Amino acid sequence: MVFLDTIRNNVEMKQFFAGLRSGFPIFLGYLPVGLAYGILACNYGFTPLQAVLASALALSGVGQFVALTTLVLSESVAASVLASTIVNLRYILFSATLSPHLQGLKYRTLAWIGFSTTDEAFAINSAEIRELRASPSSMMGVGAIGWIGWIFGTTLGTVGAQFLGDLSAFGIYFAMPAMYAALFVALASNRKQVYCGLIAALIALTLYGLTRLGLGLEIYWFTVITALVAATIAVLIFKDSDDSVPTEAACAEEEVH
Amino acid sequence: MELTSSAAIWGLIFGMCLLNFGLRFLPLAVLTRLAIPRPLMRWLSYMPIAVMGALVATEVMIPALNAAFAVETSETQNLATTALYLNPGIYGALSAMLTYYFTKSFIGGTLAGVVVFALVQLLIT
Repeated sequence: MVFLDTIRNNVEMKQFFAGLRSGFPIFLGYLPVGLAYGILACNYGFTPLQAVLASALALSGVGQFVALTTLVLSESVAASVLASTIVNLRYILFSATLSPHLQGLKYRTLAWIGFSTTDEAFAINSAEIRELRASPSSMMGVGAIGWIGWIFGTTLGTVGAQFLGDLSAFGIYFAMPAMYAALFVALASNRKQVYCGLIAALIALTLYGLTRLGLGLEIYWFTVITALVAATIAVLIFKDSDDSVPTEAACAEEEVH
Repeated sequence: MELTSSAAIWGLIFGMCLLNFGLRFLPLAVLTRLAIPRPLMRWLSYMPIAVMGALVATEVMIPALNAAFAVETSETQNLATTALYLNPGIYGALSAMLTYYFTKSFIGGTLAGVVVFALVQLLIT
């Protein structure tokens, strides 16, 4: 949070707090998953401090789980770090997608936005960019609230897991899928976007079908492969027109209001 | 359970930290200093909805499909019933989508999804 000093005035402060608010579903969604990570890491020999630090420094849900499993299976630090990096290759995609809207910012601001980009923060920021509500400060807020939720969840997992019992009956593990579903609607701003999303859903389920038939593909690859293929199909079959790209001019104009 | 050595854990923590940060920061650092060609912009503009489509489909359908395949099913109809009509994820996701559509609230959509998911899960089991 040392990057907060790049927020210079009241307007940017307000945007930051608006980001914290928009990102609150992420906080909720991360609690149970962070909790699960905390429990698992401690079972595998992490001290509570190490588990919480891992979450605070890596901020990478699936990547952390994969690294943990690989470490236990292979006892190789290099293999575990590599596994988590491969799972997280999609972050390159996310950062590249956000970059047109972050032109010319200080490296310090970019460092925090980049560090705190997760699937969920990316989704909320993309939706807000589409609704012309996003700004660098709001993105910092969205990232911050997710980071706090992830650390908080992991901490709960390391200290109180055994007292909390089974939370699945309350549907809490559905918080993230539910948020994705709401985000899908938020991003479906025109017909081309809707079709692209549906194409992606079909591709993802086709990949699942193929793994059922014996294709050796881990489930964490689905998102990367699907997104690359679906976006490519969409670019090829839909005509170029202005409504497909939210322009920076439109975003900049909105920030003035 | 086999305990992992402390040195290995510290190595993992800092290794993950460095590489994950690099993956996320470097594209930002480079691409925010360069003009991005329009075809690439168009391609990137489809990325968020494609990611969401993939995530919703996998998160909602795969647990149900796995469960359906785990049960001995000779008829494909049973498979469809279990994976579609008896899948609390479908009802949860639809509730989240409708709630967001009418209220434009992420937190509202998320909570509606969670509540409906839990209720349907309760009714089905």
